[in-house]
Amino acid sequence: MELILSLGIGVLVGSGVWLLLRPRTFQVIIGLGLISYAVNLFIFSMGRLVADKPPVTQAGTRIDPAMLADPVPQALVLTAIVIGFATTALFLVILLATRGLTGTDHVDGREPD
Amino acid sequence: MFAAFAIVAILYPFISEGEVLRSDIEWLPAQGLNFTLRMDGFAWMFSMLITGIGFLVVLYARYYMSPRDPVPRFFSFLLAFAGAMQGMVIAGNLILLAIFWELTSIFSFLLIGYWHHNAAAREGARMSLIITGTGGLCLLAGLILTGYIVGSYDLDSVLAAGNAIREHELYVPTLALILLGALTKSAQFPFHFWLPNAMAAPTPVSAYLHSATMVKAGVFLLTRLWPVLSGTDEWFFILGLAGMSTLLLGAYFAIFQRDLKGLLAYSTISHLGLITTLLSLGSPLAAVAAIFHMVNHATFKASLFMAAGIIDHEAGTRDMRKLSGLFSYMPITATLAMVASAAMAGVPLLNGFLSKEMFFAETLGQHSSSMLDEMLPYVATIAGAFAVTYSVRFIHTVFFGPKPQELPGEPHEPPHWMRLPIEFLVLACLIVGIIPGMTIGPYLHTAVTSVLGDRTPQYSLAIWHGISTPLIMSMIAFISGILLYLILKNYLARCEDGPPGLNRLKGQHIFDRMLVTLSWRWARWLEESFGTHRLQPQLFLVILIALIAGCWPFITTDSSFALPSLTGIDPVFALLWGTGMACALGAAYQAKYHRLAALILMGGAGLITCITFVWFSAPDLAVTQLLVEIVTTVLILLGLRWLPKRVEKIDIASTLTAKARRLRDLILAISCGSGMMLIAYHAMTSAPLHDSIARFFVEQAYPEGGGHNVVNVILVDFRGFDTFGEITVLGIVALTVYALLRRFRPAPDSIDIPEQQRRQNAFDDDHPERNIGETVHDYLLVPSVIMQWMFPFIILLAVYLFLRGHDLPGGGFAAGITLAIGLLLQYLASGTRQIEDRLHIMPIRWIGFGLLLAALTGMGSWLSGFPFLTTYSTYLEIPLIGQLPVATALFFDLGVLLLVVGATALMLLAIAHQSTRSYRTRTTESAKTGEET
Amino acid sequence: MNLVPEHLIIAPVLIPFIAGVVLLFFEDRARSVKAVVSICATVALLAVSVMLLRMAHTEEDSGRIAVYLLGNWPPPFAINLVLDRLSAMMLVLTALLALPSLVFSLARWHKAGVHFHTLFLLLLMGLNGAFLTGDLFNLFVFFEIMLAASYGLVLHGSGLLRVKAGLHYIAINLVASLLFLIGVALIYGVTGTLNMADLALRIPQISEANRIMLESGAAILGVAFLIKAGMWPLNFWLPATYAAAPAPSAAIFAIMSKVGIYVLLRLSLLFFGNTPDFPENMSLEILFYSGLATIGFGTAGVLASQTLGRFAGFSVLISSGTLLASLGLVHNGVTAGALFYLASSTLAISALFMLIELVERGQNMASNVLAVTMEAFGDYDEEMADEEIVGVAIPRTIAVLGTCFAACAILLAGLPPLSGFIAKFVILNALFNPDESGQAHLIPATSWWLLALLILSGLATLIAMSRSASARSGHRRSIPPCQEYC
Repeated sequence: MELILSLGIGVLVGSGVWLLLRPRTFQVIIGLGLISYAVNLFIFSMGRLVADKPPVTQAGTRIDPAMLADPVPQALVLTAIVIGFATTALFLVILLATRGLTGTDHVDGREPD
Repeated sequence: MFAAFAIVAILYPFISEGEVLRSDIEWLPAQGLNFTLRMDGFAWMFSMLITGIGFLVVLYARYYMSPRDPVPRFFSFLLAFAGAMQGMVIAGNLILLAIFWELTSIFSFLLIGYWHHNAAAREGARMSLIITGTGGLCLLAGLILTGYIVGSYDLDSVLAAGNAIREHELYVPTLALILLGALTKSAQFPFHFWLPNAMAAPTPVSAYLHSATMVKAGVFLLTRLWPVLSGTDEWFFILGLAGMSTLLLGAYFAIFQRDLKGLLAYSTISHLGLITTLLSLGSPLAAVAAIFHMVNHATFKASLFMAAGIIDHEAGTRDMRKLSGLFSYMPITATLAMVASAAMAGVPLLNGFLSKEMFFAETLGQHSSSMLDEMLPYVATIAGAFAVTYSVRFIHTVFFGPKPQELPGEPHEPPHWMRLPIEFLVLACLIVGIIPGMTIGPYLHTAVTSVLGDRTPQYSLAIWHGISTPLIMSMIAFISGILLYLILKNYLARCEDGPPGLNRLKGQHIFDRMLVTLSWRWARWLEESFGTHRLQPQLFLVILIALIAGCWPFITTDSSFALPSLTGIDPVFALLWGTGMACALGAAYQAKYHRLAALILMGGAGLITCITFVWFSAPDLAVTQLLVEIVTTVLILLGLRWLPKRVEKIDIASTLTAKARRLRDLILAISCGSGMMLIAYHAMTSAPLHDSIARFFVEQAYPEGGGHNVVNVILVDFRGFDTFGEITVLGIVALTVYALLRRFRPAPDSIDIPEQQRRQNAFDDDHPERNIGETVHDYLLVPSVIMQWMFPFIILLAVYLFLRGHDLPGGGFAAGITLAIGLLLQYLASGTRQIEDRLHIMPIRWIGFGLLLAALTGMGSWLSGFPFLTTYSTYLEIPLIGQLPVATALFFDLGVLLLVVGATALMLLAIAHQSTRSYRTRTTESAKTGEET
Repeated sequence: MNLVPEHLIIAPVLIPFIAGVVLLFFEDRARSVKAVVSICATVALLAVSVMLLRMAHTEEDSGRIAVYLLGNWPPPFAINLVLDRLSAMMLVLTALLALPSLVFSLARWHKAGVHFHTLFLLLLMGLNGAFLTGDLFNLFVFFEIMLAASYGLVLHGSGLLRVKAGLHYIAINLVASLLFLIGVALIYGVTGTLNMADLALRIPQISEANRIMLESGAAILGVAFLIKAGMWPLNFWLPATYAAAPAPSAAIFAIMSKVGIYVLLRLSLLFFGNTPDFPENMSLEILFYSGLATIGFGTAGVLASQTLGRFAGFSVLISSGTLLASLGLVHNGVTAGALFYLASSTLAISALFMLIELVERGQNMASNVLAVTMEAFGDYDEEMADEEIVGVAIPRTIAVLGTCFAACAILLAGLPPLSGFIAKFVILNALFNPDESGQAHLIPATSWWLLALLILSGLATLIAMSRSASARSGHRRSIPPCQEYC
């Protein structure tokens, strides 16, 4: 399982990095999106992979931390998702603004010679 | 100024006893930098010069400056300069000395640039600042090194550590740096050219700074450190070479100046070269001569500058080709100038003669067996001859000859008070020249003793030493100098500015070229080759460096990876991620030409991420990721409309460089991917930690935090401050998006309405019974009705998600986004404008309330004396619904909800709103064209 | 328990936050109300910062460290704020920069777009939070607040230049944020904690296999901070962005690059503090040399810049480079000098950004270019003889501006008598007298490099400043001469 997930993270990062290095703003925003998935998964995976043990305690039972998934990375990922969402939205808007003002969607605001 | 002079004069009795006055004020004792003032004989002598000549110059300037000049500025700078100079002279700490040193440079810059509307003044000021400033920085470095060698910056300790310094391995760099400072300041070759350019300053400034005081700072420093640094071969060669070339070149250049002040400037350079040469010799007697000449030069050169200033002032020009025969107009000034320039030429019975004689005597001595030493007497004699030539020229052209024509002004004698300083100085020249032993003798002795200590030699200041070699040298110089003038007289009367032969070698031009090359071309080149304005290389570098940094520890330490185990792999999960990876790769491949496809594929990858979260027991993450996914996709969809159309071109056969670049990017992408994969795998398979902070959270979530959903309790309670920050980020971004989109200008080629709508409108046009826009309105009617009806249910869902958040997956954030999606659906269903007419939501208010509520909840705990964000929880029994967890964290979560609704709605609506803007643009434009046709 | 001083620690975060949020409820037209509120908040912030500094400063040598436990949870688990002398100093510096920037913005800039005051105050909140927090992930959150607000402020007023520079700025900082996350995640993955003080305790006990990952995480984290600090070659966005940003924004941004340096200093103490033979010493060496490279690049840029805005941007780089190189030496005396330099150069650069706008208001851009071409072709007008030799009085405002400009120039070039000189002197002095005894030790080559570059950069600043000073007065007569040296 770990292998598959890390492979997945690797592919997401690879595709994302490739897109980041492309000249069109839209490619960059998709690249950022892909990398942030990868990063979220990566943070999440730092709690090690545990199936079917969501960190929700049962009332009345004795609580054994080892029996539950690590909640801290999950909390971090939640924060990261929200911040990632915010920054993606911002990037989208500045992308549109650049396109509107310069007439091109090149990242440098002008077509290469 | 006079007061300062008086104070210094009063101090003499103390100094003459060979005492050293000190005043210590601690400034930065830890760094060895104290505000130490220290006055000994030499410093006293210099102080006398600074204050005395300063007083005279101020008096002179009072009459020199035009009444329309803003004199307060002038005098404040001049006095500030005098203060800095005085500080430098009596500084008892090397660093303090460097500070005052730079201050003199700065004030000199201000004074030269005083007539700032004049281009020459600006250039001169700039050049002098750059050169002396550079020298000052070098000096500072040299002095720090000295401090390092000696272990203290205190002047007394340094003076006592001469041998240690000379024998230290860092002696040469130290010496070089200090000499660089001194030589630039004293305008020694090859740094001499700033001084003539500095003549654009008002004449009192030239008289004060550029003859009597500031340029003397360099030789002052050399003399000060003479006991410590001198006596080595390096000292002799560097200083001797610089001094002799300056002496000769300065004198030679001086002959061929047509500007009166230019002549004096070059003569100053030459005399400073003389002093430098004397100091370079390393014999005590030469040092005596150097000190003596400093005083003499200051007196006669200051008076000459003032005389030149008077001539300029009265005749209106300083051009020697225009000036002549002024003797009859201003006989007194002329006489004074003649005496002073005779002193400059070294005529007997004047002070210049005495020191020059000592100089000649010194040149004859054997100091070190080298070419330089052999040449010295000849160089000295030639330079002496040149000095005579330019002195004669100065007098002869200006005061004798035919009456001047085409002078701008009618020359006459200046006011008496303006002449007084000159009279005083010339008198000093005469008295010192005639009875040196009785006048300057004791003072000079004090100064010399304070510098040389017990190495003070026997010397005599008599005028007549009998017929000796120096006297013969003087005679030769005198006669040949006059002869040279007679030969050159006619040539000089009409020559170009600058000496023949060397005219092209103007220091100023070389300096400018160098400055341009160094500071402009090279700098540009450096900036362009080591920097970039483009984004792609920047991102490439960032990622590359991050990759190297991340992988470095793995490379340097040979870590063995456990072979990946293929056991225990769920085929469904593998299939899932097979799809996920395909989506990612597809998105990467399609993003250029098929934006929509790429967006959908990215969504696919996001969906797989969601499922992974569910799979590995993170339902909260899955819910949030899914909701965020929806909103992001919608946002980008709304934005897609404004991007330019891109048709896939068959441009595979692009240039080789482009291909290489793509290959390079590909390699980086692949290595980043595999790097991340390795690290992730390594981390995931390493043993779980048992003492992580997670344990505490899980154990305390219910007993202390009052919730079963640990993740939610962490978010709103344990790490509520993170959430607090996170919602702030969201709020800020929403505001920024709003602000940016208010000014949105769509590109001209994306203003047209989309093709689909055009086609629908065309359909309306074809059918007379339909109004324009009806089809657009009816489009997707059934889904939109459903969506309108769903609104209450979505609200209910949001409330549910919110309330259960503390115990089960859900929470304020998820609820907020759900609500925002509900709003968004309304937009989709009824069109932007109808909704804007019907629903008046003020998202910014929501944002404000949300943030405020969160903050107030946090501050509520202050009331009971606990820190920010401390929660209190209980369970409430509510009829019908049952037991409800109520923690103060709930209010915090409510704040989160409000903010998320506000922020998301604000962003979505702001982008959605743009479609109406384009429509308006179009209608106004069509209206305009309609009017025109 | 005396409550007030205890809760004062969080005030630098909450004051700007609440003021900023309250401003959202006012109409955008109510500018004077907004201005009053935000000025009051900033003044309060300054007062609180100074009080905190007094709290942190004690007569003993060590100073006092105060910890504020958020949510009243025991230390290593939840988030806490840590106040010591360094963070208190940074707080005071921030407030000191904020107040004049804000006042400056009242003249014009706050009208150029919506919500200027809110964004500005939230930027302050982000800065203060980043200085105070004792938690690694919380640091990320405050970095994001700071960055998000700075995005808003860069783009404030919109316009082609700003949007283009903003796009680059945002793209690079988003990547940096992702790196930040990866680094934090790795560190949590191997240590199981996020609290900085707890990290310092746990790092020495880490197993060998995990140590590699820790180092990897720390290195990635370091790259993220170095991007923010403006290290070459990660800094090309910086001059362009700072030059394009509105003047008051740029003025407060002067401290943003210092946040990266502050965090680097903090974390390097954490990571390397306990184990001096940690193999990461190499990374310090890298820090030093890249700092030198940054000074070099900044120097070239300062000389090559044709507009004052870019000039100031490159000055930020020189300042960053000096600090990075000084930190790379890991030497108490040098660090002390560097911190002094930090304060002095930040204030000077901030002032410069605001001055530039005033100075450039009345003149055409071409005159700057002219100054260089004049040098290139050496054609000085031979106007000396024709010029009337009477000084021209300088209008009072221009004189004040000129004095300020000259003061900035002197500060940045490190000339005496202003603090720039003292700072550089303290650094150099410590460099050459490492053990304070000043006897019998060798000077390493690194010190020579730093010495040479410090002096060279000062010189370049001097040349560039005097060039622009000449350009400024190479004016047309109709415009009052903006004279620097008067």
